[in-house]
Amino acid sequence: MIEVRGLTKQYGAVRAVDDLTFDVEPGKVTGFLGPNGAGKSTTMRMILGLDRPTAGRALVGGRPFARLAEPLHVAGALLDAQTVHPGRSGRDHLRVAARTHGIPVRRVDEVIDSVGLGPAARRRVRGYSLGMKQRLGIATALLGDPAVLLFDEPMNGLDLDGVRWIRRLVRDLADEGRTVLLSSHLMSEMEQTADHLVIIGAGRLIADASMQEVVRGEGARRQVRVRTPSLDQLAGALLRLGLRVHPTDDGDLLVEGATAETVGDVALEAGVAVHRLTEEHDSLEQVYLDLTGDSVQYRVSSAPALAGQVRR
Amino acid sequence: MSAVAVAEPGTPTVLGRAAAAEWLRLRTVRTTWWCLLAAAVTIVGIGVIAAADEAEGPVGPGNLVVPSTFAGEYGVMLGQFALLVLALLAVTQEYASGSIGPTLQWTPRRGVLLAARVVVPAGVATAVGVLLALVADVLALLADPGLVLRFADLADSLPRIAAVLFAGSVLAAGVGLFLRSTAGALATVFLLQLVLPFLLPAFGVGWMADLGELLPGSGAIWTLLGEPEMTAAQATALLVGWSGVALLAGGRSLLRRDAG
Repeated sequence: MIEVRGLTKQYGAVRAVDDLTFDVEPGKVTGFLGPNGAGKSTTMRMILGLDRPTAGRALVGGRPFARLAEPLHVAGALLDAQTVHPGRSGRDHLRVAARTHGIPVRRVDEVIDSVGLGPAARRRVRGYSLGMKQRLGIATALLGDPAVLLFDEPMNGLDLDGVRWIRRLVRDLADEGRTVLLSSHLMSEMEQTADHLVIIGAGRLIADASMQEVVRGEGARRQVRVRTPSLDQLAGALLRLGLRVHPTDDGDLLVEGATAETVGDVALEAGVAVHRLTEEHDSLEQVYLDLTGDSVQYRVSSAPALAGQVRR
Repeated sequence: MSAVAVAEPGTPTVLGRAAAAEWLRLRTVRTTWWCLLAAAVTIVGIGVIAAADEAEGPVGPGNLVVPSTFAGEYGVMLGQFALLVLALLAVTQEYASGSIGPTLQWTPRRGVLLAARVVVPAGVATAVGVLLALVADVLALLADPGLVLRFADLADSLPRIAAVLFAGSVLAAGVGLFLRSTAGALATVFLLQLVLPFLLPAFGVGWMADLGELLPGSGAIWTLLGEPEMTAAQATALLVGWSGVALLAGGRSLLRRDAG
């Protein structure tokens, strides 16, 4: 359980995090979303006691993290996989962490195996790929078998196998009753993995709701996709009811704000054949873009490329 | 899972583990071993040669027999820098690589980390330096039969060497914690400990020489070699004062500022 209360961080004139309040509950994967610079990393750093809040506080397992005697048994985190001494081997990095808690070396080798680092663990970190560093960071987070886990962009730099591994790992950790806070920019990944979402923009809370509520709740658009050989006839019937329709590139018709029942009934009355009828909800990406609207840069650079993946 | 009321270990245990981790950190990077090699070569090498050279000086009515502890003292005066660099890098490398982040996630009580991070490298630098000085003393004795080595000489010499190295290492660690930059901290420590104490008096200008005598390096040189002119109280004040100020500034930076 992570409790964030009125958390605020001011850097000079910039308010990076502005009066954030939310809980991260056990047994769920909570996705932490927001455009670059929204304050996600700063929030995670304050939760872990690395940065001092200007106001407010964060509790991990009911206590401020910075006061814990054995923090690795309470919360494990991967914030930035690059922040490892390049001259030390991965295994030695873990041995140092273990030494701070009196954890036996046996456990070090156990987590090395569990993240698939294998023989590379004895090489110096200097030669690791980003993906290997991510695995090392996750091994460190898991070392103390903590009830709370924080991952900041853990899928960065991982290949498809790695991404699938993280997805399964995060799911399993939550299913074991642990608290998991996961930030990611990969919306399709988040849609598959997270149960709950905390969305922030410009340091402020935008949404704190379940994935269902965000994607299908108020404000999220619904539409029905219908395929028919009598496109014009059906479109006309729907338009007469005041519904908005758009033809798609592949010859289907999209009906906004309608249910499948309505469209099916209209088609029956109009006497047109229907070959396909599906309700579609907005992708998480679309909802996210609507919610965090002002992030123009993100939209221009990434949205077109991602949109196809999300829909299919 | 909510917080489970498990008995937490007390501060002595946490500090002991943090110190053990700090020791492991030192041992698992090559930099440490390079620094120790450099220290061994300079302290033993320069010390033995300097002592042999000193023993060949003119033996006049006022000249006593030279104790071979001169080797260790002279060697440490120059070779101390390899050991100070060790203590300094133990601090600043973490800021350079960002690994201070993970470190503070494992030891989030910053007072505990401060104690371990200053005492362990400074202790290692001091212990190794004293050991190398002893080796230099013995080798100098073997190399030049004109030297003598009495127990009283060692009992006088080695604690002085230990004081200089401990004070210097704490200064280096404190400056490192304060500046968080390897280059900046190295330059500062070099200037304070070596360059300015030798350079300022060389101009032959009164106020410059006076200023030089206020620097920590002058206290270190006096403690090792009895130069320049000052009292034991002055030298002690320089060593304790400078390392104390550096520790306060660096400690405050670790305790109060964001992790970095």
